[in-house]
Amino acid sequence: MNTDAHASAHAHHWEWSWAPMAVVAGVFFLVPIAFSGFFVYENTLMTAVGAGVGVILILAGVAKWVDEGLTQVPLISGVANIGLPIFILSEIFIFLSLFASYWLMRLGVDSWPPAGTPEISKTIPLIMTVILVSSSLTMHHAEAKLDHGDRSAFNKWLIITIVLGTVFLGFTAYEYNHLISVGFIPSTNIYSTAFYSITGFHASHVFVGLGAFIAVLLPSLGGRTNKTFVTCVSVYWHFVDVVWFFVASQVYFW
Amino acid sequence: MNTPSATAGHAATPAWKEWLYTTDHKRIGVLYLIGSMAAFGVAGLMAIIIRLEQMDVGMQYISSGTQYNGFLYFHGAAMILAFLIPGLTGFAANYFLPLMIAARDVAVPRINAFSVWLFYFAIVLALLSFVIPDAPDIMWTGYPPYSITTAANTSFYVFTVHLLGFSSILGAVNFLVTVIYMRAPGIGWNQLNIFTWTTIAAFVLQLIFIPVLAAAVTLLLFDKYLGTHFYDPAAGGDVLLYQNLFWFYSHPAVYVIFLPAVGILFEILTTMCKNQVFNYKAAVYAGIWGIVGIAGIVWIHHLYVTGMPDWLRLGHMVTTLLISVPVGILTLSMWGTLYKSAITYNTAMMYAVACLYLILIGGLTGIPLALPSLTIHLSETAFVMAHFHFIMALFAAFALFGGIYYWFPKMTGRYADGGLATTSFWLNFIGVNVTFIPLFIIGVEGMPRRYWDYQMFPQFDGMHEIATYGSFIVAAGMLLQFANFIYAAVAGKKAPLNPWNSQSLEWTHTQSPPGPGNFIDDVVVDENWSPYNYNKD
Repeated sequence: MNTDAHASAHAHHWEWSWAPMAVVAGVFFLVPIAFSGFFVYENTLMTAVGAGVGVILILAGVAKWVDEGLTQVPLISGVANIGLPIFILSEIFIFLSLFASYWLMRLGVDSWPPAGTPEISKTIPLIMTVILVSSSLTMHHAEAKLDHGDRSAFNKWLIITIVLGTVFLGFTAYEYNHLISVGFIPSTNIYSTAFYSITGFHASHVFVGLGAFIAVLLPSLGGRTNKTFVTCVSVYWHFVDVVWFFVASQVYFW
Repeated sequence: MNTPSATAGHAATPAWKEWLYTTDHKRIGVLYLIGSMAAFGVAGLMAIIIRLEQMDVGMQYISSGTQYNGFLYFHGAAMILAFLIPGLTGFAANYFLPLMIAARDVAVPRINAFSVWLFYFAIVLALLSFVIPDAPDIMWTGYPPYSITTAANTSFYVFTVHLLGFSSILGAVNFLVTVIYMRAPGIGWNQLNIFTWTTIAAFVLQLIFIPVLAAAVTLLLFDKYLGTHFYDPAAGGDVLLYQNLFWFYSHPAVYVIFLPAVGILFEILTTMCKNQVFNYKAAVYAGIWGIVGIAGIVWIHHLYVTGMPDWLRLGHMVTTLLISVPVGILTLSMWGTLYKSAITYNTAMMYAVACLYLILIGGLTGIPLALPSLTIHLSETAFVMAHFHFIMALFAAFALFGGIYYWFPKMTGRYADGGLATTSFWLNFIGVNVTFIPLFIIGVEGMPRRYWDYQMFPQFDGMHEIATYGSFIVAAGMLLQFANFIYAAVAGKKAPLNPWNSQSLEWTHTQSPPGPGNFIDDVVVDENWSPYNYNKD
């Protein structure tokens, strides 16, 4: 196809990059090693070393990967933004499994909420919904600006999006902090079980989205952007936004 | 990706870097091959230890039941997750699928490298979980409540599943995009190799079902380490939820292994028989996609004895029996491909023919297990174990080894056939039968599976002994086999570019082994082209 025809114009050579291996090694240290250091062996040194090495490797790997994505001509191009929706299909199934577990527990008991549940504010999730929807709109706007070649406007709207996402996570932290202070912790009852698992899992997606935004923003401030990457990050963010409607409606408003 | 150093014409990149950091699909395929074969070796050793322990009544080689559990855990988890799935959808798909559709690489090569390293670090974690003092002792299934109450480190099990699962999901994304968007001009859907079809079908299953397994084990992690109550009936959770989520993935996982194995067999059979696929469209649309369609609604048959309403049991009995229809269609297509053909018997073909027998035994012994009335008696006996070893371990592994012989000249430029290959084939084939047929018999007679000792059943001693001798024969065969692969790769007889006179693009249009970018010129095929253009009348 076109991409192939383009590629055949050069002589081929064995392609390589150390970035993927570095990121995986980072994930390995950050997740299994640091987690079991903290929860299983309760060893501060193991936790600190695992997390430290992991974060450094991930940051180095992502930086290298992003840099290569901005400077090199790919052998195959224009297909990553088709891959992302396929990946999202997979994400949908993981969220569905979480919701199914929640529904099973909830429909199996006679009264809801179970004993030990404090009053959970409905105002906070409403504000969070407004924030996240706004951030989707600002991201869409940013993309439109980039399409028109207006880089400084793109940067501005991207920063606004990042700020909104961060405020969203701030609300999560505030809410968790409040609930934990009144004794509503993951092990309290089946509502807390589902509440922290589902909202926490969603928040982790917001966190990853923010990380990806920063990986777009930093090079963009220096005038470099990979359009495919921007599209992917944006689609991912809209997905995280849509999932929030299910999270909020099921966990807070049902 | 023109790496700046290379385009600038500097001295060549060191070969170790080009291999270790490679983003090329063929080299990534080789990395998968090395990793999966290493896993096969270690997990095979565990199998020998398990068989040795069962050779006689009483404790012989292990020091405790927990240690035996550890071996069972590692053997099962490594064979399925680190040998078969990476061997079939990692190695075979990576190396040959892009060649079959004449693509220059997969859609996102760096993500592909990311996948292979997730696989390797998962192996590292699995090996680590064997040396830590609190090694996981929860089988490859990890059922709660034991996996939550055990003092062992369940988190390593969970993270191993996470790493491998993430690797497979990204692989699925890569290969689906590759097949949908990167076929060479002229290759229509009905001109795809059967292996291409089975691979994307397997990846569709991975994409949809792995997230469910990932969720199941994540909730296990939360329950054990954060104190949540998903699987805790006392607090309103449901311990059966785990079994449902787990088998919702793990039954389709059988097809993730089965389908690419079938695909490899079709490649060998058509080439060595010089015949077209018998009923291509039925095999693809009814067989392969029929399996994908039904795969997600049969998992309850793993839970027949855990307690459930009768209507659910009956429903899943029907769907489980129903899935033998597409499997039967594929089997018929394989047999039909032999009909009136000019068969060349070489090592690859011998493995393929052995598979036609293995699928028959493995498939037919599955039918009684689909029936709840029989499963109540057969469940948790050696019969179940022998059944799934026949279909997964033997059928799929034989197909993979057949595929290695078939593609060996493409990967190395040399044949792996010869006296060593034939001898090791017969040792393997005889060995697996001697090992597993006695287990069918004592299974029906009531030998429970997973027991390290069977003092209450001394009458099974003789059959266990025969089975153990069988495992020695397989071990000898496998050692010869790997010696043969290594010898052949270095000093085997040189092979021409298309030694089997295949019509498939990986043979007709590439060097052995193919260089960077795979094809010297862009490949275009016409509408009459087919990878199976033999025997046209």
